[in-house]
Amino acid sequence: MKKNIAVLMGGRSLEREISIKSGQRISNALRKLGHDVTKLDVDQSIVDNLKAEKFDLAYIALHGKDGEDGTVQEMLEVLGIPYTGPGVYANVLSFDKIISKQIFNNLGIPTPLFYFLNASSFRELGASKILPHIVKKLGLPLVVKPSAQGSALGIKLVEREEDLTDAIISALGYSKKVILEKYIKGIELAASIIGKDKPQVLPIVEIVPENNFFDFESRSKAGDTEYFVPARISKDEIKKVTDTALSVHRALECTDLSRVDIVLDSSSRTPYVLELNTSPGMTDTSLLPMAAGEAGISFEELVEKIVNMALI
Amino acid sequence: MSLPMSKKITFDYWKHLYSTRTGGMVSSEIRDLLSLSARNDIISFAGGLPEVRALNYQKLEKYIKRSLKTDGHISLQYGDSTGYYPLRTKLIDIMAMEGIEVDEEDIITTTGGQQALDLLAKVFINAGDHIITEAPSYTGALNAFKAYEAHIIGVPVAEDGIDTSEVENTLDRLYSNGEKVKFIYVVSNFSNPSGFTLSFDKRKALLVLAKKYNTIIIEDNPYGMLRYEGKAVPSIKELDIKGDNRNVIYISTVSKLLAPGFRIGWIAAPHLILEKITLGVQSSVLCISTFSQRIAYEYFSDPAWQENIIEFINIYKQRRDTMLESLEKNLSGIGQWSRPDGGFFIWLKVPEYLNMKEVLADAVIEKVAFVPGTGFYVDGRGKNAARLAFCTENRENIEKGIRILSKIIKDKIKLYQSFT
Repeated sequence: MKKNIAVLMGGRSLEREISIKSGQRISNALRKLGHDVTKLDVDQSIVDNLKAEKFDLAYIALHGKDGEDGTVQEMLEVLGIPYTGPGVYANVLSFDKIISKQIFNNLGIPTPLFYFLNASSFRELGASKILPHIVKKLGLPLVVKPSAQGSALGIKLVEREEDLTDAIISALGYSKKVILEKYIKGIELAASIIGKDKPQVLPIVEIVPENNFFDFESRSKAGDTEYFVPARISKDEIKKVTDTALSVHRALECTDLSRVDIVLDSSSRTPYVLELNTSPGMTDTSLLPMAAGEAGISFEELVEKIVNMALI
Repeated sequence: MSLPMSKKITFDYWKHLYSTRTGGMVSSEIRDLLSLSARNDIISFAGGLPEVRALNYQKLEKYIKRSLKTDGHISLQYGDSTGYYPLRTKLIDIMAMEGIEVDEEDIITTTGGQQALDLLAKVFINAGDHIITEAPSYTGALNAFKAYEAHIIGVPVAEDGIDTSEVENTLDRLYSNGEKVKFIYVVSNFSNPSGFTLSFDKRKALLVLAKKYNTIIIEDNPYGMLRYEGKAVPSIKELDIKGDNRNVIYISTVSKLLAPGFRIGWIAAPHLILEKITLGVQSSVLCISTFSQRIAYEYFSDPAWQENIIEFINIYKQRRDTMLESLEKNLSGIGQWSRPDGGFFIWLKVPEYLNMKEVLADAVIEKVAFVPGTGFYVDGRGKNAARLAFCTENRENIEKGIRILSKIIKDKIKLYQSFT
């Protein structure tokens, strides 16, 4: 049935460019499906724009701050407009990696050992003095990343202790808190999940970046990263990864869709959860549409499923 | 149940077919961060956008109508690969105002100054050839040269321009090794991005070097007429013409004299070089937009265009002064910056340990944008520098933007100091 859908895209996060690409592709698909579509670049006039006509649904194509942290979802709840993807709470829990990783720890879901710090730790509490202790506990190399940021902006693989300060300051440029995390050498995997009452994990995607670390450069140079679907791991490992992804999806109270990023440890073959994304990219080089495609779900079908789930 | 075979997914199916030169064409974090600056609620010190709103649109409309009425059948048609002849006569008048005497056969028009750079790169550069540029240098030029796989040697600049001693050392080293330098590229007045102007002594020195080592200087002068104080310095081209006129190629653009939307630049060079460049034009665009050139001809035929330049100068000078005052008020003792006598840009440097790309990440969230310094080097230098364009924003926004930017820089310094 034809619906009047507002596609929320752009915004003011650092992932604006990817959001615009996602939003454009989604809008085209929605039109092909016969819906009325209004693209809305999210800014201070978003409430007026959403109230300007009767929208049946807000399709959230935003990434990062305001789009994946519960902000826009909460506003849509207030306005009474149904929206795609997980709800407010799931977004809040998953956007801050510190909170989500702590939940994983509490539930016994493997996630790399980590510590977090913030600007105040350094400015007010002399946290630089504990960095050698952190290095001792986590070993080198270790991963430094902003606690709340997507697209791998600000993520650095630190191989020498003397590079740690710069990496931390860099990460704090993207988020108020920084995570220092044990580096797990292994296979990078993306488990995309769709479904409401019975969420299903789509074929697992294996990501092989050219420089062996899936940082910002790898993510934006689509031609230089290789992808294998399904991942080149054993049947048992696929099951372990699938089960882990589903438990993460549930643990963070997600519904409808998500993408769980996992690294399968080369030695122990344990799937370690890195994070869950509630508004995964939907560009022509993004992982969720890639996995759906390999499951025989076209992009339009994927968008339609997401719309239908949101309207239930 | 057995698993399906893993399928390798490659997005770029044509990777094996691309030319090697595309290896130099890469996306950057800066580009993505700056996509936020496209929003109209951002105070942008990023792009060097001329104040086209200061143009008299009614007059432009008149010029367009006259172009169509008088000889629309010509202006709407394919034109000469060397450019619309009447416009070239006006461009030589403009050059004469800056002391450069050439005739119509000595110049060709191009699709903006950027095409001039591309054509020169196409004509001169083989993969691996050495060229010398300022460091920092104009990004558009670096990209044009990288696209032809040049080996770019960046020579540091001081307040009076490129370090000519270092240029000489570089030339000496290479030529002693049996190698050569295809050209030396400089933006001679109020350089993009540094704002520095190449001194007269250094212009002479550079020309001596070009002759000694039998190489060429590409003198790029888009901002020469936008001088706010001080005396104009004779161009390297003028000096060369007074000699044997062999070693300088001069390029410029109407983008800052009229508007960038016209996409008109030009190259003044020895005839034989122009012949090669004309072949380059023919193989890429056939000819430059006759329509644009026709209207530009009308504009430059009306003496009032020089009043526009005075108006532009007034506007930009005030904006420059506001930015300099704001920097002094907010970053005195913390940063250093250039004080250009004209042009569009101020080059800001902060303590070495700061990374301006990370400052940009914070700044765009606070609705301020600029271009981090690494964008103007080929070798990763410039981390603690930034180009600030003062031409675009009004004075109130300039004050506000610099205040916000300064706060972010100071917070970063405090954070960094907490580590030491």
